[in-house]
Parts: sequence; structure tokens; C-alpha cells
Amino acid sequence: MQARIWGARGSYPVARADVMAFGGNTSAVEIRVGETTILLDAGTGLRGIGQELCGDAGRNLGRLHLFISHTHWDHITGLPFFVPLRDARTRLQIYGLRRARISLRQTLAEAMSDPLLPFNLSGVQAELRFHELEDSAEIDVDGVATVRAVRVNHPYRALGYRVESEGGTLAYVPDTGPFHTVLFGDDYVAWDGKACGLAEQRQLALMRAGLLRLVAGADWLIYDTQFTDEEYRARPHWGHSTPAQALEIAGEARARQLLLFHHDPHRTDAQVVALLEQHRPLAALYGVGIEAACEGMALTKRAAA
Amino acid sequence: MIVRFWGVRGATAVPTATHLRYGGNTCCVAVTGADGELIVLDAGTGFCQLSDALLAGPFGRGEGQLTVLLSQTHWDHLLGFPFAAIVHRPGNRLVVYGPGHADRHIEQIYGMMLAPEYSPFFELSNMGATHEFHEPGPTPFAVGALTITARPIPCAEGYSWGYRVSSGRAAVAYISDARYPGCRPTPEALELACGADLLIHGASTTLAEQQGEQEPCSVEEALALALAADARRLMLSHHAPERSDEAIDALLAYYRARLAEQKHCLTLDAAAEDLVLVL
Repeated sequence: MQARIWGARGSYPVARADVMAFGGNTSAVEIRVGETTILLDAGTGLRGIGQELCGDAGRNLGRLHLFISHTHWDHITGLPFFVPLRDARTRLQIYGLRRARISLRQTLAEAMSDPLLPFNLSGVQAELRFHELEDSAEIDVDGVATVRAVRVNHPYRALGYRVESEGGTLAYVPDTGPFHTVLFGDDYVAWDGKACGLAEQRQLALMRAGLLRLVAGADWLIYDTQFTDEEYRARPHWGHSTPAQALEIAGEARARQLLLFHHDPHRTDAQVVALLEQHRPLAALYGVGIEAACEGMALTKRAAA
Repeated sequence: MIVRFWGVRGATAVPTATHLRYGGNTCCVAVTGADGELIVLDAGTGFCQLSDALLAGPFGRGEGQLTVLLSQTHWDHLLGFPFAAIVHRPGNRLVVYGPGHADRHIEQIYGMMLAPEYSPFFELSNMGATHEFHEPGPTPFAVGALTITARPIPCAEGYSWGYRVSSGRAAVAYISDARYPGCRPTPEALELACGADLLIHGASTTLAEQQGEQEPCSVEEALALALAADARRLMLSHHAPERSDEAIDALLAYYRARLAEQKHCLTLDAAAEDLVLVL
């Protein structure tokens, strides 16, 4: 298993000189296991993955699997610019959360068709198959990897994934709030300054327990750390976490390395480095390695020590 | 009138070092009038960068007002909108002009973008700032001392809206996407660009690169309009994501040489982020 980060920015892509070290593309991670390619989210970073896939004759376009955490813009805007869609050799399986209101296929198709884009998802040369997932779904990927999904705490719900293969285990939780103040569901949460009630606290505790099982013993944990502590206090209803909250999950679940992810669009490279350094002592207390995800970062087993 | 470019990239944002000199954020141009009137042409990801800069002034106190003119509702013209900090600050007021589609008004299209499937904001009423939506029409309208004219411009997917912002002393025309069959600009495009001090025009392709009618606008089409309308300066914009800084430099050099050969006095440039022009 070989993983690579192609987009680590949250909310929207940012093209600015002061963010180039960690990168301005939104969420996209590539994992290669043998001939199979597993893609986590379709943010703007997906465009680069597509170019590389089609530029390398050795890659098998028939075994592509895209797991979408949720369909907020920053997790899907790379899809129409993913060139393997225009290649008849491509067989792409797309996985995402099942919703009562609208199918996964239609959610994606409507996002990129008139009047928002002239892109016809049904007209692409690639063969697409859509798979709608329930909380705790488990998928066998080409017999070489297992992917598990659990619900995490984000507006309108989102999924976190665990990808497990012979070469290692990677947990991916790009968007989630912590599990003590606000319970997100299908309705909009307006922040009134009060933590949620006991029934919601119980649901949050269950969700957190599910997340801990997902992350348990992972070699790498890619986790939403969009907020600083101060930003979290101002906007607990936005559904994002802080590095300290991520470390709590990583430590409790005994993940080996935490990768800060979904960097706020305003966060400069220098600020990401400062956040990272600030949290090294806490990471050491938890016994967890800590780094910040950056574009081009390769994850191999050795780096996880 | 001051013109500042905040996003010059078409199709998709390109946060790549080799593209940063011209810029990787999608479409957004700010025009400020002598009395501080603020007009924003398109709201791609460049709008988020503009918004951060605006927070230092009245918009930071919830006392700002601006007019947004959308040329079309594709992602690269609209997706910066819901994430910009100023739209989440109560008290700010945004007046938005943009095209509807089929039976959907521009406000409904914007609402679609905010739906819970796609954004954490769910609906317009959660956005903080006040929004007022209009579809562009044939009658020019005033924003402070600036006059705005909107005209439909044919493009690959039907039509986009082009705009002319005029202070009486200076005029800037903005056409992000257009297709002029046989490089013959339409009367509406000519009207907008007529004698303009600055014509900002989409030019994602060249005629040689265009492969059929679904392709975006070419440099040749932009040049044809600038020359026919006797514009003083043409600023190519809406750069294709594939075009690196070096590729844009080369493209500019080629077309500047052709203009010089033909002894045209049009000034040709390529739009770049952070470029500020005083007209």
C-alpha cells in the first residue's frame, strides 16, 4: 500500500504563494494497492491524480474506486476535471453515503450539470458504478483491500473511512466536529451557545465509539484539524475539529501517526508549521506521531514509525 | 475608476507554483468608483480573497455594500460566493445580478448551491449578509456614479452576460465567455466594448486549439472584438488551467508580435492576480 496526498486544504481551493508548501488543493488522497487505486474524496486535488493515471501506461484504469466522505463542494469539484472519465478503459466505482432524499448519482450529476456546469455525468466514456453506503458498511475492494465507513459529526452527516490492506492501515476523517458540544444531523444547527442535551450527548458518545473503532491501531490517521482552539470556540456549529481534539482521538485509538488535514483556507504555511510545533508535546504525551498533510506527501510504512 | 484582478483562471482553481504569477484563483474582478462604489465581476474563488481584503473596511463592521455582476453561473464564476467571509457578516448587503436558467431564477440557482448536499449553509437565510437578486436586463442602471450596461453574449453553452461599467470618464467592458462565429463579434459585444479604455475578455483557447463548438473562447475572438470596437487595451483572462505562466508569456509574445506586424495600436496584456489599473 502506497498512499499520497494530492489535496489537503479545507472549504475551498486557495492559490496563494503563502500556502504553497502545504498546498491549496482541496481534499484528495490516492492509495495504490497492487493494480487497484483507491481514491479518497474528489476535491480539486483529484485533477492531478487523473493526469498522472492517464499519463502512465502501467496504471490499470479498470480498477478505480472513489470513496466520497460527503458531497460538500470542496470534496467533489475535482470530479469533472478527472481525465480518466474521458477514457473508455476506465471503470470507476463511486461510493458515498446513502440519503433518503436523493441518490448519490443524482447528487453528483446535478452538481455538475446546467446551470452550474455543462458536464453530463451520464455521457462520459468511463463506466461508472455507484454504491450507496450505510453507517458501518464494509467493502471488499478487488480482494486486495477492505474499506470500512462510519458516520462522523458534520452538518448533513459525513463518512470517515478506514482502508486496510496488507501494506498498512489508513484512516481518513476529513470533516468532523468533536463529540461533546454539537450533534449534527440532517437539519441546520444554529449556534445558541449551549451544548446539546443528554439524548444528543448519548448519540455523540456512540458516534465517537464508532470512530474510535474505525481508527483503532491505524498506521496513519488523516483528520480534520481546520480550526485552532480559538476558532473552534467561535464556531462549534461548523463541524470541524482542532489538532488537540484530533490528538485525543488518535491517542485513545492508538493510531501511530496523525496527519493534520483540511487546513483552513486562511492558514498560511508558517501558521500550519506553528500549529504543528505547538502540538508536538501533546502528541508525545499521547505517544502519537504528528505531521501536517501536504500536497505530494507520500505515506509508506517506514514513515509511520 | 480602479480595476483590480482577484481571480483570472477559468474552469477550475489551479494552486500550482508554475501558475501563480498570473494566478490560480477563478474569475473575480473588482471595480471601484470615485465615491467608493464597489462592483464585483464574477465570484469565483478570487472572491474569497477579495472578501478577506474587504474585512479591513466597512465590510468588517457589517456596514459594507457591493454589487456583484455574474456573467454566468458555472462553478468558476460562482463557487467563491458562499465561502467569502463578508457574506457571513450580518449588516453587509450584496446586490447580485446574474442569469437565471430555464424556469429557475438566479436566486434559486444560488439556493441550489447552498443546499445541504453541497454546503454547510443549507439556505440563503443562514448567510448573515442581506442578498438581493436580479436578472440582468436591457436597461442600463446606476450604482452610485457608475453606469452598468448588461448584454447577452453568445457562448458555447448558449449565452453568458457581458457588462460595461462606465464612470463617464472611463469605461471597462467585461466578457468572460463568448463565441463569435467566423470571429465576427455580435452587435451586443461591440456595444459593450465600444471605445472602452479596458476590455477584459475570456481567452481560454486559441483558434488553432479549438476543437468544435463546445470549446471556450479564443484569443482571436477577443482580439477581433477589441479591434472592431476600437478598445484601447485588451486584457486576456479566464486562462485555461493547463496554461502555465510561461505558456501565457509565450502566447502574449506571439499575439503582440502579430499586432505589431499589422501596425495596430491596441495594447495587449494578460490579466494577472493583484494587478491594479487606474482608469
